[in-house]
This record gives sequence, C-alpha cells and structure tokens, in this order.
Amino acid sequence: MTSIQDNDYKAKLIASVKKEVKQVMEESVTKKFVHEESGSVTSLCGAVEACLSQGLRRRALGLFKTSSTTALLHKIAKHSSEAALISKKVIDLENLDPNRRSSSSSDSTTKPVLMKNLSFQNVNLLPKYLWIRLALFEKQLSRIIDYLVTNASRYYDKDALVADPDYGSILSSLLVGPCALDYSRTKTADHFWTDPPADELLQRHRISSSHSTPPPVRRPIPNFRRSLNTSSDESTNRCQTQHLAKDYVESLHQNSRATLLFGKNNVLVTPPKAGQIEPMPGYLSLHQTANCLTIKWTPNQLMNGFTESDVPDKNIYWDYAIQVRLDEVVYVHCHQDVETGGTVILVGQDGVQRPPIHFPRGGHMLAFLNCLETGLLPHGRLDPPLWLQQSYATKNHKRKRPLPSLVENEDEPKDFVFRIVDSSNHKEISVKRHDLMNRNGHMVTKVRAQLGSSSTSSESSTKSFSIEQSCTINDGSNVCIQAVCESMKRQIISRAFYGWLAYCRHLSTVRTHLSGLVHGTIISGENAKEGLSEEKWAELFVEGVLNNPDEVYKLTYYGGVAHELRKEVWPYLLGHYKFGSTVSQREELSEQTKQAYETTMSEWLAVEAIVKQRDKETQANAIAKLSSESTSGEQVPPQIQRDLSNDVFEDISDYEFDSNEDLTDNEEKQKRMKKTEQNTVIYEGSDEEKQVNNETDALPDKLPQDDEEVNVDLENLRLTNSVLEEACSSTTEHNSQIEETDLRRFVGNVIVTNPSVDMSNFSMEIRRKSSLVALTEENGQSLECIETHGLVSPARSACVSPASSNGGVYSPELLETFGLNLHRIEKDVQRCDRNYWYFTCENLDKLRNVMCTYVWEHLDIGYMQGMCDLVAPLLVIFNDESLTYACFCHLMERMVENFPNGNAMDCHFANMRSLIQILDSEMYELMHSHGDYTHFYFCYRWFLLDFKRELVYSDVFSIWEVIWAAQQVASSHFVLFLALALLEIYRDIILSNSMDFTDVIKFFNEMAERHEAQAVLRIARELVLQLQLLIENK
Amino acid sequence: MATRKKVLLKVIILGDSGVGKTSLMNQYVNKKFSNQYKATIGADFLTKEVIVDDRIVTLQIWDTAGQERFQSLGVAFYRGADCCVLVFDVTAPNTFKSLDSWRDEFLIQASPREPTDFPFVLLGNKVDLEPRAISTKRAQQWCLSKNNIPYFETSAKEALNVEQAFQSIARNALTQQSQSVDLYNEFPDQIKLTNTTNRNSNGDSCAC
Ligand SMILES: Nc1nc2c(ncn2[C@@H]2O[C@H](COP(=O)(O)OP(=O)(O)OP(=O)(O)O)[C@@H](O)[C@H]2O)c(=O)[nH]1
Ligand SMILES: [Mg+2]
Repeated sequence: MTSIQDNDYKAKLIASVKKEVKQVMEESVTKKFVHEESGSVTSLCGAVEACLSQGLRRRALGLFKTSSTTALLHKIAKHSSEAALISKKVIDLENLDPNRRSSSSSDSTTKPVLMKNLSFQNVNLLPKYLWIRLALFEKQLSRIIDYLVTNASRYYDKDALVADPDYGSILSSLLVGPCALDYSRTKTADHFWTDPPADELLQRHRISSSHSTPPPVRRPIPNFRRSLNTSSDESTNRCQTQHLAKDYVESLHQNSRATLLFGKNNVLVTPPKAGQIEPMPGYLSLHQTANCLTIKWTPNQLMNGFTESDVPDKNIYWDYAIQVRLDEVVYVHCHQDVETGGTVILVGQDGVQRPPIHFPRGGHMLAFLNCLETGLLPHGRLDPPLWLQQSYATKNHKRKRPLPSLVENEDEPKDFVFRIVDSSNHKEISVKRHDLMNRNGHMVTKVRAQLGSSSTSSESSTKSFSIEQSCTINDGSNVCIQAVCESMKRQIISRAFYGWLAYCRHLSTVRTHLSGLVHGTIISGENAKEGLSEEKWAELFVEGVLNNPDEVYKLTYYGGVAHELRKEVWPYLLGHYKFGSTVSQREELSEQTKQAYETTMSEWLAVEAIVKQRDKETQANAIAKLSSESTSGEQVPPQIQRDLSNDVFEDISDYEFDSNEDLTDNEEKQKRMKKTEQNTVIYEGSDEEKQVNNETDALPDKLPQDDEEVNVDLENLRLTNSVLEEACSSTTEHNSQIEETDLRRFVGNVIVTNPSVDMSNFSMEIRRKSSLVALTEENGQSLECIETHGLVSPARSACVSPASSNGGVYSPELLETFGLNLHRIEKDVQRCDRNYWYFTCENLDKLRNVMCTYVWEHLDIGYMQGMCDLVAPLLVIFNDESLTYACFCHLMERMVENFPNGNAMDCHFANMRSLIQILDSEMYELMHSHGDYTHFYFCYRWFLLDFKRELVYSDVFSIWEVIWAAQQVASSHFVLFLALALLEIYRDIILSNSMDFTDVIKFFNEMAERHEAQAVLRIARELVLQLQLLIENK
Repeated sequence: MATRKKVLLKVIILGDSGVGKTSLMNQYVNKKFSNQYKATIGADFLTKEVIVDDRIVTLQIWDTAGQERFQSLGVAFYRGADCCVLVFDVTAPNTFKSLDSWRDEFLIQASPREPTDFPFVLLGNKVDLEPRAISTKRAQQWCLSKNNIPYFETSAKEALNVEQAFQSIARNALTQQSQSVDLYNEFPDQIKLTNTTNRNSNGDSCAC
C-alpha cells in the first residue's frame, strides 16, 4: 500500500468514527438517553475496532486470535488500570456458562455492575466488539485509546493510524464525548415508539411480514397498556431486569397494539412440527392485546439469525414458532424442579396439550405465572390464585405463602395445576368489541396515533394508570369503551371543525385589524409620477402661498420632491408651515422660532457650563484617586488627613451633588454671580491661585458621600505632595484645552471674559443679554421655575433672582440629568454620519445644538440613541438650526413612540406579523419555523429611524418625504409597507437559503445603504394597493 | 442556517454607550479602526473563524446598543450566548461603575444554566487615551470579586491587546460550550492536531 492510499484509508477510518460519534451524540440529545444496544453504539464500536485493528503488530505481539484487539486489551491490562478493569470484565463474561450464570447472577442482581453483565449472558448473544462496548459503557474507552496512542510504538506499525501523531489523538478525543454519556439498558416506552434505529425497523418488518406468524391483532386500546412494573414481586423484578437486558429482542414485539407482559429467552420448547426430540432454545413472550392474552415462542434462530450469515432455509424456523391464545387454554400445569428450573404445560379446551415449556432456573416460571395472572385480569383469573388471600391462609396452612411449592430452593420437585377461569360475559364482550372496531376502525387508528404520541411523554403515568384501569373497568367496560370511542370521534371532528373555524375567524380579524393600516380610498397617482418638480411647484406656489395640499401630497407620494425644493416643501409636509399661509406669516413664524430657539439655547448653555466645570472636577478627582491608588503603600501625612475630614464634614451638607462631582465650600465661595443693569449676568470667580494642599481638600476621595469607595479610600489614601502636584498640573493643561473649545459656543449670546482656568476654580465671567438665568441665593429655591420648559418663558424670567455668591442655582437633579444627556449627545454627535460631506466639525456643532435644545425642552423624554440620526437629514436640507429644530419637533411627535418608552415598535412588529401572514404565507412559514423570528426584531432599526440607516442620504430624503405624504394619501403606516417591500425584494434569497433569524439580521445589516430606493418605494406603494384590495374583498 | 453547522460560539459585547464596543469588534474582525463608526442601533454581529486549541471555531460576535434604555431590546439577542464580554472606558469612571448592572442584567436575561460559572471577560478600552481614570488594579479587583474574570486592557484604536483578548474570549466560550453536547453536532472538516494537544484536559471530563 502506498502511503497516499494509506493516508486515504486512515482518513476514511477517522471519518467513520466521527460520523458514528456524531450519531451517538445526536441520539443522546434527541432522546435524552442512548441505549446500550442501540444500533449506533454498535456501529461506533465497529468503527473504533476498525481503527484499532489497522496496523496492529499482530505477529510481533503474538496476537493471533480472531479478535486481536481483545487480545491487545488483555495485553495492555498489565500497564493500564483502565484496560485491566475492562479486561477482567470481558474474561468474566466469556467464561460464564449461560445457564449456570443466570442462576448465580440471580443472587446478586442488586449489584448494578453485574446486572449490566447480564445483558451478555448468552454466548449467542454476546455482542460484537464486546470489550469496546464495555469500555465505552464504563467510560474508559477514550483513556484506553489514549494509552495505546501514547505507547503506539510498542503495539503498532509506524504507519498505523493509532501511531499517527494527528489521527491517534483525534481518535481518543473523539471518544471523550461518547464516554461521558450514560447508557441505558432499560428501554423506556418512548424508545419503543419513537425513531427506532433502522436495524430495529428491519427486524420488526421481518417478523411481522412473515406469513407464518398471524397478522397482529388490529384492536388497539392503548389505555390498557400494561407494563411489567405492575408486579412488585421480587423475583418478577429480577426476571424483569433480566429480560429487559435483552429488550433489544423484545422490542421486536412491543408495539402500539400489543403490550409485552413477559419475555424470556432461552426457554426450551420442543416444537411439535420439528420432529426432533431435543428441545430448542427460544424466546418466550406473553402479550396482551385488547381482547386476549397470547403466549408466543420464537426459536432463537429467528431472533438472532439476522446478524449471522443468512441461512437460505431459515424460513423453516417460522414453522416451529408457537402461538397460543390464552382464551383457548383451560389448564396450566406447572412442574417445578430444582435442577432444571420449571416446566409449564398448557392444556386447551379441546383437552390437547401444548408443547411443554421449559424455563431456565432463576424464578422465571414464577415470574411468568405472575405476569399471566396479572394479564388475565379483569376478565379472567387463575384458580387457585397465585397469591392467596388471607382467609384462605387460615384454612390451609400450606398456602400461607404464595404457593410455597413455586418458591425456589424447595428441595423436592412440585407439581401444580391452575385453571383459567373466564368471567361470565367474556365472549359477549369480545363480540361487541369487534363490532365497535369495525364501525369506528378508521377513527380509532387516528386516535391511536394521537394517544401513542402522547403516551411517550407520560410513560410513567400510563403505567400506573393502567393498573387502576384494569381493576375498575370490569363490568361496564363494553358500554364504557363504546362511549369513549363515540365521544372521541365527536371530539376529533369538532376539534377539526373548530380549528378550521378559528383559522377563518383569525384571518378575518387579521383583515379587519389590518384595514386600519391603509386608507379606505387611496388617491390615485394619475399624472403624479414625475413628482413635485420645479414646474409643478411654480404652478402651485402662487404669490408665496401654497394652496393645494392634496396635490402636493399626491405628487410627493408618487414622485417625490425635487431636491432644490425640499427646503421649501418639507416644512409644509412636516406641518411646520401651514398651507395657505402668506410669506409674511411664515417670516413671522420663522422669527419667533428663531427667537425661542436662541432663548432656549442660552438656558441650556448656562447649565452646560456648570456641567462642564463639574466634569473637570470629576476628572481631576478620578486622576487623583488613580494616583492615590498607584502610590498606595506610602504614608498619608497626618495633616492632610485632618484637613480633609474637617472640610468634608463641614461642607458637604450643603451639597447633594452626584458622588463624583463634589465642590468644596472654598470653591463655591469663590463663585459670584452679578446681575448687571442690562440684565446681563456676570459670573465671575476669583483668580487667586490655590495651594496644592487646598486642592487636595477638593479631592472626592475624602468625601463621605462617595459611599463605599470613600471608606476604602480613606484607608488606602497615601498621597504625597509631589505625586499630587504632578497629577494636577497635567490635568490643568488638559482641561484648559477642553474649556477653550467649549466656551467658544458662548459666542453670540454669551461673552466669556475670562477663559483662563485652573483646575478647581470656576473662574470665568459670563455676561448674558438674556434675563433668563435663574439664580438664587439658596439652593433649591428656583427648582420649580426651572422645571417649566416653555419655548418663550415669561414664567421663567419671573424667577430670576439676584446673583448668588453661593452657587447652586440649578437643582442637582437637573444638573445631573442634563449632564448625562449632554454626554450622550456629545458621544453620538461625534459619531453621526462622519462619512457624509455635510458633517464637518462646524456642522456637527449645529447638530449638537439642535439636539441639546430638544433635550432641554424635553428633559422628561431625554436623549435617546437614534435621535441624532433623525435630526441629521433635516439639518442637511435646511442648514438652519432653528428651522431644523422646529421641524424635528414635529417629526418627533410621531417618532418618539418608536423609542423604548413608546409602544409603536411593538405595534409595528405585530402588524408586520399579520401582514406577512396575509400577504406572503411562504415567507411567514419560514420565519415561523426557523427559530421563529416573527418577532421581527431585525426590523428594529428600520422603524426606529424611518430607514435612515438603511439608505444613502439622497434616498433617505426620497423615502422620508414619501412617508410624510403617505399619511395624507394612502396610509399612516407607510413604514410597514416599506419594510415589507424590503423583505419582498429579497424574498427569494431569504427563502432559497432558508435563512434563520441571525442570517436575516446579518443579511440586512450588510445590505445597509445598498438598497435600491426607487424600487423599494414602488413595491411599497403596490403593497398598499394590494392590501387595500384584499380588505375590500373580504 | 449555514452558520449553525460549524462549531459556533456566540459572544455578546456589552458596556455603556461609547466605550468602544463596535470599534473593538471591527478592529478584531476587520483589522481596522475608523472614527466613522456610528452609534449602534439595534444589534449587529460579525463572524470570524478562529483556531482555538487547534480547533476551528466560528465566533459570532454580537454588538448591541449601549444606552441602557435599549437594553430591553438587547435581551432578544442574549440567549444562547457562550461568553459575555464586558467593556468599559478606562478614561470614563461611570462606564466602569455600570459594569455590575450590565453583568447582572445579562445573567438575568440570558439565564445561562450555570450563572456562577458563565464566562465573562472584561476589557478596559481606550488605554491609548490620557488621562486615565480607572487603574488596572481597580479593574482587577473587580474581576477578582466576580469569580476571577479575565481582564484585558485594550485599545481599539491602536489595536492593542485586541487579538489576545478575543483569543481568550473564544477559549472561554469554547469551554462553556463543550459542557453541552452541541459541540459534537458537526466537526470541522479538517482538524489539524499537533502533538502539543492537551488531551488530558479533555480526558478529565469523561469522569463526570
Ligand atoms: N482613543 C480611542 N478611541 C476609541 C477607542 N475605541 C473607540 N474609540 C472611540 O470611542 C467612540 C465610541 O466608540 P464605539 O465603538 O462606537 O462605541 P460603542 O461602545 O460601540 O458605543 P454604542 O454603539 O453607542 O454602544 C468612537 O468615537 C471611537 O472612535 C480606543 O481604543 N481609543
Ligand atoms: Mg456600537
């Protein structure tokens, strides 16, 4: 073999292990357990075996046995404790004679490990890849392989897979997962009903399709399903465990129609047709169907044959198979023998004996009788009962215990005869049942499917239920069942009907609901396609008066506004200018707007100055704190500490400032406000230089308001003068830079007379023409005045009070709220459309001003991310702060509801859901099935910003004006149709790639600014018409 | 669905607005910094294939809006996260102070199976800027108090430590995920293992 072939082969081997590991892991996820004898476990073991066999140095190691990997295991057992453990188990299993072992094991069934071994008790049934299996179940496989990989040179050829540095470790790592699983031996009910591995399906098919076995009884009453668990007898449990260990075989017979009550392999029977004297081992099972109990015996050759090489004449074994209906049996003869176990002979009504059934030792016969007795209930019973009632016990000493003769360890052989007593109306019932079934056969099948699926989820409850059912149903059962079937039939039909009805109603409510989304009549777009062009504008705008709103809206909706006209038209569309207003009226309005805007601005600018100052101090504090941390370990000069505490405790009572923004009394006293004769406020501070030590006083670390941190800091503070000095000088430099740029904003209304600043001094003088700065002597006095936010605010001017030498003009809450907003605005303005030509630093300042003015006037709303995006296009069009501000206020009336405290977003999502359901069911199905994204979060940004981020600027203009005009022309919810249009444009891509939620998010985020706006608009307008049509036809 | 098939690690980046979440994500995935990034609205994610412990994994990094009012929206994206990256700005003390609430909110909303063991990573961003307000020590102390969260000081602008931070994020996400069996749903087509693979650490898990 060349090395390339070799490598290919190894890759294949690993790939197959990978595949099987995946299979097993998937099984464990979907079913929550993996059965020991599941086909996937076998395949995995096979794949592992193949890997381990490849390149094994058989000759050198003297491994000539058939299973050389088993021999290898025994060999490495000397060196690896894991291997030793498994090796011992394998030897134990192989050495045991099946019959002897079954009896010996019955003594120690309480040990789980041994019970596990039971699954391999018959040599015939010893599964393939035994040691790999065991190692897997004992969670040692990956470690054993690990050992082999690390010591590969000893056991493997150089080019073996295990010896390969990559493949070897892949192999062992692959098996870590399967080794972490717990494998179950017990098959739960759902294991029988749901996704059986292909192997099992094949086997089921093989047996049920065989001509020699009678067709399965058709009558299904799943409610009557019983399980072995109903017996509490110890030996029954033991036998149950044993037979459950072989449930792979049993599952062939366990199905939704018949309940398996008992099963035991290696039960010896001499088949009547076999013409041979030697009894054959086979599998005995007791089944309960709706109307009778059946005993089946199937030769081992049939049960196991499928794994071995196919014998062509295997069909003869089908003739040996035995099936006895219990209602044909009158007597059960039992013979108990210590040596051989027990024999049961069934005698029929005709007096003919069925072939003797020889049970192996281990209480199997008793278990069988027990199950038989349980199974006969409620229509039949064993006479005498297997379990005697107390009254009997007093009469007959011998029968105090459950048939002592049937208990093991009795020395002498015992014989016993039971009669099967039929309840009087048994025959009658079965006839009636057949009638019933014929009438309702079709329906019942459906019911079964339903019940079958539900039973899987509540397996345990079904079991307990079945016992009670069997006791209580007794006499009236025929009536009862018929009634049940009838009512089920009715229920199913009515459910289907109501389901359909509900669906129709739903659609109709959806339509009714959606009818609110579009106008009843939509103004037609005749002659409007070219939009509001210069010519049209000239026609409509007569002598400075715009009179025909309908025409303007219509033209805008169908064709947009010429770019040069937007500055004129948008204020109309947004409702700032009134249709029919004269030039002078509008001029007056503009003047008012401008005045009010400037007034408001001057208000917040004053507050901003204070906020800035406090920020600086905060910054300084933080730096000081930082340097204090970095120098921790050094001693605090005691003097400083004393000074600190004095200042702190005297001064803070006056200040409720935010924990970071602490001003000391000293500083405050330096702040002076003077009111000039011209209503100008002079805000000045002393220029005196401060000593480093004084500045230390201002450090927040010493302020007790700074709650927990302060405590820590007071302890840890180890300031040295030099460090502090250094820190302060650097900040001062930094701050003065900031301040200078900030203060430029005061130009116009505010004159800054003393821009030079040091760290803690509020040493600037502000002269204002407006009379609106509210200053008071005392903190908090002016609070109410400041809460009012009128554009023109006579109320506020009334609040103006003489300059304060004490500061604290605005309430701390107000300062803090506005400060917070200011920071947010600043951050977002800096990041607003920096790639668009308009937003130079100068224009960004305009944006910031508009934004701050809005927030100052609407502090209850506050700044929310996205608002800048909404201001920006307006500002680009108007390039006028006050007009932009006024129009933005109008825009926000609608948009504010989209932001987190409004509820419009949820409405949009709900409407989208309904719209898609009605207009594109295929898309709806996809969204619903693929991790359900019918919550439409991926549309969030679309609605929040009216598609501003989805499109390039020129397209944003087009889309926005259409949205505004649509309110008057077609729909107040035009954004929904734009969103729908976006989805519809990419519909095929979404569908063909069956995109899930994340795929859709990614797709649309990547498509931002790449959509074709005109197409989107066209489709959106069509969708409006489409919905209107649908609603009209309802 | 295509992204599902590989080993997919979902990482959520949280932190106050402006701390540099978007910048960090873009620096890591696209290797560039730009002052033209916009404030994040809604949520976005980028994916990147990385090799962690010799395994190819796909990182799906989710970037959400930082303003706390938008948190209610973010939670829709928290679910199924394998690691949560908390970011603050070393020059802005308030962004450090909100870390607790970001962390708490995440744990409440994402409700991971093992809240105490859920992997977080803390990034102190903008270390290129002066003056600094939060010292390394203070950040480390916070991390220590939160079950020893790994801490990295980064600069999205200067690409400082970004690669290392995300490598650690990926590794933490992977350990989180390998505790669930999702990992085995599909293996990367090519596994390149070297001898240095630390198999023992994997092997330990089978004893559980
Ligand atoms: N100097 C410096 N600036 C940075 C760094 N990282 C981000 N920035 C800047 O900080 C600002 C905010 O960055 P973003 O990445 O947008 O912040 P974000 O956390 O995504 O903010 P939201 O999306 O609002 O939550 C931008 O102006 C960036 O240029 C950094 O490492 N150093
Ligand atoms: Mg961002």
